[in-house]
Amino acid sequence: MSALPQAKTLPGHVVCDGNEAAAWGVVLSRPDMVAVYPITPQTSLVEALAQFAADGTLDTEMVEAEGEHSVLSVLQGACLAGARTYTATSGPGLAFMFEPYLRAPGLRLPMVMSLVTRDTLSPQCVWGGHQDAMSVRDVGWIQVYCESVQEILDTVIMAFRIAEHRDVMLPINVCHDGNYLSFGVCRVDLPDAAGVDAFLGKADTNWHVALDPDRPMGVDPLTGGGGPGAALFARYRKGHCRGMQNALQVIVDTHRDFGDRFGRRHAPLLEEYRLDDAEYAIVTIGSMTGAAKDAVDEARCAGQRAGLIKVKTYRPFPLQAMVQALARVKAVGVVDRSVSFGWNAGPVFQDVLGTLAMLPQRIPAVSFIGGLAGADLTPGHFARALETTAQALAGAVPIAPVWLNENDR
Amino acid sequence: MLETRYLLVGSSHAALEALAAIRMHDAEGSVLLATRDTAPPYSPTVLPYVVSGKSDPNRVRLRSDDFCEAQKVTLRSGSALASLDTAAQMARFADGTEVRYERLLLATGATPAIPKIAGLTRVQYHVLRTLDDAVRLREALGRARRAVVLGGGLVGMHAAENLVHARTETTIIEMQPQVLPGYFDAQAASLISGAFAERGTRVLCGQSVVSVAPRESGFALKLLGGERVEGDLLLIAAGVRPTIGYLSGAGVATGDGVLVDRRMRTSASNVWAAGDVAQAESFLQGGRRVNGILPNAVEQGRIAGMDMAGDPGARDYRGGVPINTYHFFGRQALSVGVDSLEGCETHVQVDEAAGRYRKIVLKDGRLAGIFSIDLPFDAGVMVELVLRGTDLAPVKQAFLENPRDTARALMSRLWR
Amino acid sequence: MAAYETIAFDAARCTGCGDCMSACAQEKTGGFDHAASRIQILPAANDGFELALCRQCGDPGCVSVCPAAALEKDAASGVVRWDETKCIDCLLCTVGCVYAGIAYDERTGRVAKCDLCGGDPACVKACGEGALRHVKSAQIYNRYGELEDLFVPGLAGCQGCNTELLIRHVLRAVGPETVVAAPPGCIPGMGTVGYNGKTGTKVPVFHPLLTNTASMLAGVRRTYKRKGRDVTALALAGDGGTADVGFQSLSGAAERGEEILYVCVDNEGYMNTGMQRSGCTPYGAWTSTTPVGERSHGKTQEAKNLPLLMVMHRCAYVATASTAFMEDLYDKLARAIEASKRGFAYLHIYSPCTSGWRFPSQANIEVARKAVETGFVVLWDYTPDAGLRFTRPIDDLRAVDEYLEAVGKYRHLDAAQVAHIQAQLEKDLGLLKELAVRGAQAEARALA
Ligand SMILES: Cc1cc2nc3c(=O)[nH]c(=O)nc-3n(C[C@H](O)[C@H](O)[C@H](O)COP(=O)(O)OP(=O)(O)OC[C@H]3O[C@@H](n4cnc5c(N)ncnc54)[C@H](O)[C@@H]3O)c2cc1C
Repeated sequence: MSALPQAKTLPGHVVCDGNEAAAWGVVLSRPDMVAVYPITPQTSLVEALAQFAADGTLDTEMVEAEGEHSVLSVLQGACLAGARTYTATSGPGLAFMFEPYLRAPGLRLPMVMSLVTRDTLSPQCVWGGHQDAMSVRDVGWIQVYCESVQEILDTVIMAFRIAEHRDVMLPINVCHDGNYLSFGVCRVDLPDAAGVDAFLGKADTNWHVALDPDRPMGVDPLTGGGGPGAALFARYRKGHCRGMQNALQVIVDTHRDFGDRFGRRHAPLLEEYRLDDAEYAIVTIGSMTGAAKDAVDEARCAGQRAGLIKVKTYRPFPLQAMVQALARVKAVGVVDRSVSFGWNAGPVFQDVLGTLAMLPQRIPAVSFIGGLAGADLTPGHFARALETTAQALAGAVPIAPVWLNENDR
Repeated sequence: MLETRYLLVGSSHAALEALAAIRMHDAEGSVLLATRDTAPPYSPTVLPYVVSGKSDPNRVRLRSDDFCEAQKVTLRSGSALASLDTAAQMARFADGTEVRYERLLLATGATPAIPKIAGLTRVQYHVLRTLDDAVRLREALGRARRAVVLGGGLVGMHAAENLVHARTETTIIEMQPQVLPGYFDAQAASLISGAFAERGTRVLCGQSVVSVAPRESGFALKLLGGERVEGDLLLIAAGVRPTIGYLSGAGVATGDGVLVDRRMRTSASNVWAAGDVAQAESFLQGGRRVNGILPNAVEQGRIAGMDMAGDPGARDYRGGVPINTYHFFGRQALSVGVDSLEGCETHVQVDEAAGRYRKIVLKDGRLAGIFSIDLPFDAGVMVELVLRGTDLAPVKQAFLENPRDTARALMSRLWR
Repeated sequence: MAAYETIAFDAARCTGCGDCMSACAQEKTGGFDHAASRIQILPAANDGFELALCRQCGDPGCVSVCPAAALEKDAASGVVRWDETKCIDCLLCTVGCVYAGIAYDERTGRVAKCDLCGGDPACVKACGEGALRHVKSAQIYNRYGELEDLFVPGLAGCQGCNTELLIRHVLRAVGPETVVAAPPGCIPGMGTVGYNGKTGTKVPVFHPLLTNTASMLAGVRRTYKRKGRDVTALALAGDGGTADVGFQSLSGAAERGEEILYVCVDNEGYMNTGMQRSGCTPYGAWTSTTPVGERSHGKTQEAKNLPLLMVMHRCAYVATASTAFMEDLYDKLARAIEASKRGFAYLHIYSPCTSGWRFPSQANIEVARKAVETGFVVLWDYTPDAGLRFTRPIDDLRAVDEYLEAVGKYRHLDAAQVAHIQAQLEKDLGLLKELAVRGAQAEARALA
């Protein structure tokens, strides 16, 4: 690859919202191509990128595609030609890109996409919620969820290294919550550009499958049916699953190395908060965690042995880590910002239920659903969740999910 | 003993065309081309022009020097087929060489027929069938003062014209009542012989020679009627016979020539025959006939070659049509087909003064024959109309008035 | 074996004026005597005109029967050459020719034949009616024959389908520095992208979604351009993926001026999956989803005019082409390749489908030709500067029935439907003509 012009001297810190923080992460990661289509609540991210590109802060091939379907398609072509790629979308945009979205992981393309999470239609809604991300939790992308604006910036950078790791080679969604994180402003520190260059190394996105006249091959011919096709197809699928499993260790290693280099540490798979001597805990995901931690602190002050488990890496699901965390408590409540319509529960709750089957003894578990359509999840809501979980420990286990914002005014 | 997939005997039109056809379909199969000739391939048709000096004997070869290499063929020249064992698929040559073949083509052409005339062995005479014959005759022409040509066929007439040009006093003796029998009717023939007579040539038709005796500087012929004709150059051009001497005892059915079917297969398996040596289907006259003309040799050679090579494109021989393109003293005489058939209608047009003549023979509205002197038409187009049996009824009047252009337009349409 | 140039005769255009014969006589003898011309125009029996002219046969009969080796097929030019120094005037060559292509010339007493005037035939130049054409497509075939075939042998199209030939030639012309996108349809169906880990093409090839061919190629092209490599991004797509579900990505890429060579092979429907209707299926056509029954009689809507839509995107190059007019097609292909280095180049090739259109497989080219000759398909091209221009005259079109009758999918049409089609063709043609006039005006202005 031809040498890119050195990035402009970047500030050491900025005050910005989560969308811009993601954009700064992109600037530092220096993708060869960025393709975008604006959609609420991701729009300011796109605008920031466009401005960076216009300023020369970001030297990349910018494609303003005519829709998300093409966004991801352009990037797939680019990635097969050896490009490091980035995009961002949300809700309906994700739905529209679903066809190429399904295809990227099977092609083992290490693409990075910010998913500014949003609730799905209908009811018509432009606000945050995890329903969009959760709807695609099992199509083969890696999914990580950020808690803070700083973590967005750092995770976007780490995402490139995780996706491009030779043991992984899979696309990754860096999810950050619409509204609360996308528009929440705070100070973020920028790692130094040269350090990020060294951390990420050179992009090598098509060593395994390429559209390159120097290495001609048929990319994605028909596979399956009878004959050798069925076995080949199974091999590809199994390899994809292996890549997902490998990602767990790679995510851990990448977070550790990031911390070593830049001095900021984020929990890679799960974060255990005040869990050591906890009797019960709640499981959270994304930006709700801050308020939840406050609630745990208050409960602790009140003498409760409450704890918290935050999910950062949701796909692949960190089963081992979750088994270890849950082994320490006697009851668990799971707060989801989306629903699984088939289960009448939250999707993370489902995963926790699956994890519980790996434990030596059964413990009670409660599903909480809140924060839909941009609804605020306050320490009050979490206090209720903790209380309900504590009651479950005492034997009163609700049979239906608890809808935290149901009675908000 | 030699072995070959294809053995082609003869190196003239029929054999060369068969070779080309084989190579179209079978690029690799071994081919041995064995010929009695020692010269590179040439056509007997060109010989009158070698005699006249119009053609340089060194520039008449039908194929370039590298054709053996290009066509991947082994050439054995000066090699005359002597006998054949069709059961063993073995050919024996005069020098004793034996060749085992998988497929054999007999394309040995024809040999001048020598009439039984008392005393002929005691005089020197010429024939014209090989390049050597032509070179010899050309030399003799320079010395001759009085020549006699026995036979008023094509070969004889050509030679006679050459003699006229060489200012040699010439007599043509023809057994039939006219010259060029079989190609022209009496009326046309008399226009042609008239042209010779005008230039001082004696044309004796309906005459046959009974004996010949040597004279001091030549010979003297005695005719059936008693007349004596003297001369110092005798050319025998009394027709040809297929060259089939090597077939005695070979078990290959013969009539006048080697009998063949519409794929040029002989009665013996893996043996084909084509050209002047073959007696094949006749298109207009029915039955099988020897039709010793060059276009037939080419056509038959091609069919034989394709069939030998197993080319799926091979088609049956449609049958021979008599064809002649003859020119004399700068004039044209053309003949296609037959000049009479049962139930035919005949249209003749003659301009005695200008020496122009045309005869059109139609049968059931289709062309059976067309003949002309100095009213040219395209022989190839006419042959095709005959062979296709094209119905001329819709254009009959136009055809009779202007056969050349009408036929051209018809063929143009048919081909489109 | 090489292919050669020929002179083609269109009897329907010949008026019998004789200018070609005058030109030939003038060229060859200095006079104007038509008898001396080597091309002969003859009144036909009913009416119209016919031709006698040397065809410069591949396997010439005249050469076979020449006893004097005076005739020879020139391997380089393909001309059957007559050597007057060897000729013995025996006229046997006239026996060997069934076209009267070599004939006796009374004035010289010798034969005469056409020699193509050394590659620039006087007769063709003299013909003002377009009845004679000097067909040089053979040169194109020879040129293409020398280029490397970049597909593997043994692609499996339906019998009589010319798409395989088409894509092979396109890729030969485009060359190895290419990435090929073949979205679902007949082209990958033939095996171009391969099966089970094996490829069907010697250059990188992929199977985009039916929907995203243009976008994926945009990503490929832009990435290489950024790296400083000139890699052609080539789409070999069908009409369904182009006009219907793939149209958004096509339109977006064209609007952004992505540097793509987009070849749409239009067989008027989803033929690979068994002849379903597409937006390019013409009015009245039977397809498996616009069947003929008591209540319906084929498609009830007009076909989408995709190439015109692409004109409205102001692509660097847009052209329509037909497999029956290969010279025209190759010319446009060359222009399209060149344009694809600067912007979006769109080539719309009408390609009859032997399986889905219901006609005998050997009639493919004839069907394609009739489509053009009746104006059902119009050949033109467009650039933003020169505008739209017809590459084949449209003022002498035949009635559309002639085309419709040749294609089984129109067998059920009633007179009203045929009239409707004819009327619609004329409307479409009117629009094209207006655009062409504007194009001509623009060009005139540019010149002035
Ligand atoms: C003087 C003359 C003029 C003619 N003019 C015309 C004309 O104007 N128009 C026309 O249509 N036809 C004409 N012909 C006839 C024409 O030449 C023949 O029809 C034609 O040559 C037949 O070709 P062929 O291959 O069958 O045999 P030929 O040409 O006779 O060739 C026979 C070949 O077989 C070889 N051969 C013979 N015997 C043996 C053997 N035992 N072993 C090995 N090789 C052998 C010979 O060497 C020769 O190569 C003329 C013939 C002559 C002699």
